[in-house]
Amino acid sequence: MWYFAWVLGASLAVLLAIFSGMQCEARECAMQNKETDH
Amino acid sequence: MTETMIELSRLQFAATAMYHFLFVPLTLGLSFLLVIMESIYVVTGKTIYKDMTKFWGKLFGINFALGVTTGITMEFQFGTNWAYYSHYVGDIFGAPLAIEGLMAFFLESTLIGLFFFGWDKLSRHKHLLVTTLLAVASNLSALWILIANGWMQDPVGAEFSYTTMRMELTSFWDVMFNPTAQAKFVHTVSAGYVTGSMFVLGISSWYLLKGRDVEFARRSFRIAAAFGFASALSVIVLGDESGYAMTESQKSKLAAIEAMWETEPAPAGFNLLAWPNDATQSNDWQVEIPWVLGLIATRSTTEQIPGIKEIRAQNLERIESGILAVKALERLRKNKDDADAKLVFDAHQKNLGYGLLLKKYSPDVAQATPAMIQQAAHDTVPQVAPLFWTFRIMVVLGFAFALLFGLAFWYSLKNTFVEKTWLLRWAVWFIPMPWIAAEMGWFVAEYGRQPWSIFGVLPTHLSVSTLSEGSLYGSLAGFLGFYTLLLVAELYLMFKFARLGPSSLGTGKYHHETAAA
Amino acid sequence: MLDYESLKIIWWLLVGVLLLGFAIMDGHDMGVGTLLPFVGKTDLERRVVINTVGPHWDGNQVWFITGGGAIFAAWPLVYATAFSGFYWAMLAVLWALFFRPVGFDYRSKIENTTWRTTWDWGLFVGGFVPPVIFGVAFGNLLQGVPFHFDDNLVSYYTGTFWELLNPFALLAGVVSSAMITFQGANYLMHRTEGAIFERTRIWAMLSGLVMIATFILAGFFVAGLPGFVITSSVDPGALPNPMDKSVVIQVGAWLDNFNAQPLLWALPALGVLGGLAGVVLAYLRKPLTAFVASSLAMAGIIGTAGVAMFPFVMPSSSDPRSSLTVWDAVSSHLTLGLMFWATVIFMPLIIFYTSWAYKVMAGKITTDFIKAHDKAAY
Ligand code: HDD
Ligand code: HEM
Ligand code: HEM
Repeated sequence: MWYFAWVLGASLAVLLAIFSGMQCEARECAMQNKETDH
Repeated sequence: MTETMIELSRLQFAATAMYHFLFVPLTLGLSFLLVIMESIYVVTGKTIYKDMTKFWGKLFGINFALGVTTGITMEFQFGTNWAYYSHYVGDIFGAPLAIEGLMAFFLESTLIGLFFFGWDKLSRHKHLLVTTLLAVASNLSALWILIANGWMQDPVGAEFSYTTMRMELTSFWDVMFNPTAQAKFVHTVSAGYVTGSMFVLGISSWYLLKGRDVEFARRSFRIAAAFGFASALSVIVLGDESGYAMTESQKSKLAAIEAMWETEPAPAGFNLLAWPNDATQSNDWQVEIPWVLGLIATRSTTEQIPGIKEIRAQNLERIESGILAVKALERLRKNKDDADAKLVFDAHQKNLGYGLLLKKYSPDVAQATPAMIQQAAHDTVPQVAPLFWTFRIMVVLGFAFALLFGLAFWYSLKNTFVEKTWLLRWAVWFIPMPWIAAEMGWFVAEYGRQPWSIFGVLPTHLSVSTLSEGSLYGSLAGFLGFYTLLLVAELYLMFKFARLGPSSLGTGKYHHETAAA
Repeated sequence: MLDYESLKIIWWLLVGVLLLGFAIMDGHDMGVGTLLPFVGKTDLERRVVINTVGPHWDGNQVWFITGGGAIFAAWPLVYATAFSGFYWAMLAVLWALFFRPVGFDYRSKIENTTWRTTWDWGLFVGGFVPPVIFGVAFGNLLQGVPFHFDDNLVSYYTGTFWELLNPFALLAGVVSSAMITFQGANYLMHRTEGAIFERTRIWAMLSGLVMIATFILAGFFVAGLPGFVITSSVDPGALPNPMDKSVVIQVGAWLDNFNAQPLLWALPALGVLGGLAGVVLAYLRKPLTAFVASSLAMAGIIGTAGVAMFPFVMPSSSDPRSSLTVWDAVSSHLTLGLMFWATVIFMPLIIFYTSWAYKVMAGKITTDFIKAHDKAAY
């Protein structure tokens, strides 16, 4: 069932990218933000 | 029907389809990246993510416009240029196209308006819902068209009716869950995700190299790296699945891709590189890795894969049986109740398409000479060298993407990618590659299906409309002219806005604006 | 499951519904495109006009695309024969449509007068040309088209492109163009104010009157036109093959259905009365109700043409036996049933989210709005 694999895989890939972005906000990006102030 | 008419029709279809597919993969991939960016905006409330969604959305829109323009051509081209095809298989093929409109295009095209113009009119959550449904709808459109295309490669769930002289649907379920269609769908949309990720990664890298809008570019880079990494792996796994599905349904294409002339004892070796020679029916030289092809294609060590010569010999027999089917069909058309003809027809019906292959050489199939039959059997395996090389370019690029995104993801986890200028330069330079890989992929899939338009059922040379050569030259020239102009306009805007970067949003916060202020 | 005969009739109705959906929805933005160069005098005014349909034209265009897909699925022989036969007409429609996605999306991205004027004319072509050609195509269907099938059902079109442009067909083209312009004008009035509103109002009344006049004129034409009649007995439940019937040509036969079912005269009446109501309402500055009236008028006009020809869809003038009808141009029982259910499920959803999109974007578009959204608006 590759259709099912797609539903799961695409959702996971989106989540992975969201977490990767958020993790940055929580740590390094947040620190650098203070300097550049966005 | 002349040879030129057929060549021109094929050329026009190939040109317009490949052109359409310049815009499709970016839509498929970038739409999900927009969902990712906007989700982070909704969760964290940071405006920079909203700006990211809007800016990449602008580029998305420039691309989308041409996706729509060229898609309209495709929707009608089966009728205008492939009339006999449309009659012969419309009963099966038309349904996924219509469902694609009802289920996907309507949603996609209605929501894109709200995506662009609904920012001030919708709550954050509603707008995110719009973006998400937009991405899902683009992917659903890919699903239905690839079900249609998968059926052309592997025509399941249908049978021929001699009353209506066409193929008729017997099981929609089989058509929808066709393993070939499934493998095709996941491989193709993953290719789209790679394309979208490469686009964002490459352009962000360029900003980073220039030291412009660094905060904006860093965040875009990280997202593209993560999404692209997952997608690049999935393209490889699912490309392998496409190859496996092909072993089941299209041994001729497989043998040609692998330049495998002789049937080898299992498990067969994989030709890493070779110089195929159609004239001598052998490779002038080859670099072979033992066992690998057998493992990939059959997932066993004992199953044999037939070589090109064996496939041609088998198809010769099928053509001879097909001649009987064509002759019996002609008798049935004259008298529906001819019981004897019915008996013969039923026995040979599964080879009807093979009999039709002869019509290229002899309009009356019963008159075909042994030389013609030999030639038709030869035709059943497409030319080897083009398939062999295009396939290898796609695969090499596939592994290169996996490596590039793997490194990008790794350094983005460690947050050191901004200093890795070699990586950034590689990413910029690699922006066009996903398009090359995808076009190669389509070439393998479609050219590898020749001489069939519906594999084993309907030869390409019978599928065309009865148009004059003048009309075909005229329309081809028109398409080429139009499409060139449109492409120039598109690329001009794409480059202009990519260079401008987020300053194009007019928020006053970004590079060109702060520099000017 | 529904029986084959009912499904064949249902699909005739559904194709009609899709055509009407196309005329109402894509029709109004094509009408707006037609009016663009005439009601927008400055760049700013033109942007107002464009942005009234900016968020919606693409969704509306899918009525056309899905119409194509539905004909492919339900009437594959019509899809194959009509589109390959009308090859150049079809390409002209496609090429005209090319200007729309690009015109809408690219026009205002660059501030350059030549660039913008070029795309404004492109949007005009994309809005004006397709309805004219559809009208011309209908005019030719009503007269029969020169095509025939061979023994394997390969179709051959034996006419030329220029033959399509005969007087009756051109008249039908005018009806169609006026109808779409009328529809677009009513919509545009609803979304604008001031000078643009006033200019558009004149166009609405004018195009409405042209539509009514040419429609009535075409009606008299049709009464004297040769129509087609099936003379063999038809078994509507049979497997379809167009070559299994016989057909004759008779002058005035297109009125047979109306004479047999006098109630059907309501359709042409709706065309005329809906049109008149629309003109009066435009005069009274009630654009929304005028829009409803012009939509009803289109239902009447399209319905009239469809009913006149029923059960024919594409009659053949050169070999009447090859004519395509509701009974024999269709797909199999299974496919018709499947597509029926797909339509029943998706059509309400489509109407739901389309209405939602219009609701979200409702309100007048003004020059101030464009100035405030200079970068984001079309
Ligand atoms: C794998 C994906 C894929 C493939 C193989 C095709 N398309 Fe496509 N098509 C899309 C994926 C897509 C899309 C992602 O949904 C597009 C591209 C950009 C866009 O705007 O939507 C689209 C747009 C698009 C449109 C415009 C829809 C609209 O107005 O929103 C039409 C009518 C078609 N396509 C029809 C076709 C036909 C008849 C094809 C086959 C011959 C075809 N496409 C191949
Ligand atoms: C958008 C991606 C696609 C690309 C780039 C593509 C590419 C091609 C190419 C290169 C050919 C020419 C093969 C040859 O004649 O040597 C071709 C032919 C054809 N393809 Fe595709 N194709 C695409 C999608 C599709 C889809 C989705 C369908 C059907 C649903 C389809 C149906 C056909 C048909 C009918 C022909 C003509 C008959 C033939 O030559 O076999 N194609 N395409
Ligand atoms: C190791 C990597 C890859 C493998 C093993 C692989 C394998 C395949 C195979 C076997 C086919 C032919 C399927 C058929 O004829 O039915 C195919 C088609 C295709 N490939 Fe790949 N591929 C790879 C990488 C890529 C990449 C990187 C892209 C684009 C970014 C791509 C895009 C396509 C497309 C668009 C098609 C045509 C659609 C289809 O038939 O699925 N592939 N691939």
